[in-house]
Amino acid sequence: MSVIQIENLTRDYGKGKGVFDLSFHIDNGEVFGFLGPNGAGKTTTIRHLMGFLKPAAGKCTIDGLDCWKEREKIQARLGYIPGEISFFDDMTGTEFLQFMAKYRKIGKDNRQRELVERFDLDPKGKIKKMSKGMKQKLGIVSAFMHDPDILLLDEPTSGLDPLMQNCFIELIAEEKKRGKTILMSSHIFEEVEKTCDRIGIIRQGKLIVTDTVEALCERHVRSYTVALETESLASAFAKDFGGVCDGVAVTVKAKQNLEEIFMHYYGSGKGEASC
Amino acid sequence: MLNFELYKREMKGSIKLLVIFCMIITLYISVIIGMYDPEKMKVFDGFVDAMPELMTAVGMKAGATTLLGFMASYLYGFILIVFPMIFSILRGNGLVAKYVDNGSMVSLVAAPVKRVTIVFTQMTVMVSDIFLLLLYGTLLECIRAESAYPGELDIKTLLILNTGLLCLHLFIGGITFLASCIFSSTKHSVGFGAGIPTLMLVLQMLANEGESAEKFKYFTFFTLFDPNGIVAKENGALTGVVILFAGAVMLYLLGIVIFDRKDLYL
Repeated sequence: MSVIQIENLTRDYGKGKGVFDLSFHIDNGEVFGFLGPNGAGKTTTIRHLMGFLKPAAGKCTIDGLDCWKEREKIQARLGYIPGEISFFDDMTGTEFLQFMAKYRKIGKDNRQRELVERFDLDPKGKIKKMSKGMKQKLGIVSAFMHDPDILLLDEPTSGLDPLMQNCFIELIAEEKKRGKTILMSSHIFEEVEKTCDRIGIIRQGKLIVTDTVEALCERHVRSYTVALETESLASAFAKDFGGVCDGVAVTVKAKQNLEEIFMHYYGSGKGEASC
Repeated sequence: MLNFELYKREMKGSIKLLVIFCMIITLYISVIIGMYDPEKMKVFDGFVDAMPELMTAVGMKAGATTLLGFMASYLYGFILIVFPMIFSILRGNGLVAKYVDNGSMVSLVAAPVKRVTIVFTQMTVMVSDIFLLLLYGTLLECIRAESAYPGELDIKTLLILNTGLLCLHLFIGGITFLASCIFSSTKHSVGFGAGIPTLMLVLQMLANEGESAEKFKYFTFFTLFDPNGIVAKENGALTGVVILFAGAVMLYLLGIVIFDRKDLYL
């Protein structure tokens, strides 16, 4: 059963910006990776799901509820990390989390403390003086503390160091096990590859492809088997290049980056800046 | 309709500004009421004789015979209009547009709270702030007048006058609040929220100067607030107050509806 449903969503900002006739769905308990370069329409799509924007054409529903008309009903079960995080600057992190718990009326029995410890967040300082990474952690705690069933995460790992990125990926994997439905946008293929069941690639407001991670990898990961002179050389080679060693033969995989995957679907990509 | 947690936060956020403006009006109310003195009245009226244009432009007319009449002329023509107005401009922008502009509105709308509830709460904060500021002014006026000239102040009429002033400021607050709801950037919100009342005030000052500029009074809502007329309990002046109140209600309602329906880029 699909939880998140987008049908023919269109919103034209002019100059090719916006989303155009976008349709996809996310099933219950599924983690969906939403990939695309900057300005492709990821955030615009998520804003529609959040009920911040009214669809110019088409429709978005979550659990059968209209995302624009019944937004506050949906919000009760939803967690959101915005692409650009900003909070009430005058508060400390602790004050903000307490405020949000009371404002949402979720009571004291929430995951706040657990998540603060998990992400090594120090919420005592003023939000104004926090680093980008610290604010991102605060955003993560705020999005997960009421234990929502549905998560809309817009580039959730931006600003986090690699250690914390891993910590976040673990959290997503756990939430997935607990049956949560998650939409996660990113412009890094590796990030969604690790966590997502299915991936949708969006470019210039149009959905190019939706497919399972395995199918995409199969199509876009080439593997090479090379033979080396000795077994010790082979195992060293395998270690350095992340390959699989079998005697003197080593199999390595070469992943294409997002840009190359786009190239595959859109040729040279007209209008795209080339570097 | 009202989220108490948000109301608490915003009222706490109003304290600093409220204290500053209370201090400003304390200064003016104390000094001007202190000037009510038959001897000093002559000096004041002398100012009016010497600079009639300037004094009438700021609503100060000579010849008040009672303490309240004196206050209506010298406090309610300019000082008690302009300072609460600046307060409304600052607070109105801070309650909605600022949060949309800097993105912190996302915390409020990404929660199971209706947008109507959010914006109604912010409106209640605005109205509470204006009410508290004017309530403080009223108490101060009573205390200052009673201590200096016991029994001389017609408190009942003062309350009617201040109810009129409250309606005027609710109306001005309505304009700044509406601008705050319409615009998603502080620049435009302050531009209109401050620009429209200021322009109206300038027109009012021009109209006060009289003669050919008097027709300007038909283009400014400040004409609806006539302190001397209220003190004299003229029907026209009381009708003006009712119109201001009705206008204020409409402005706030419009702000709420617009915010509920607008696109938010958060």
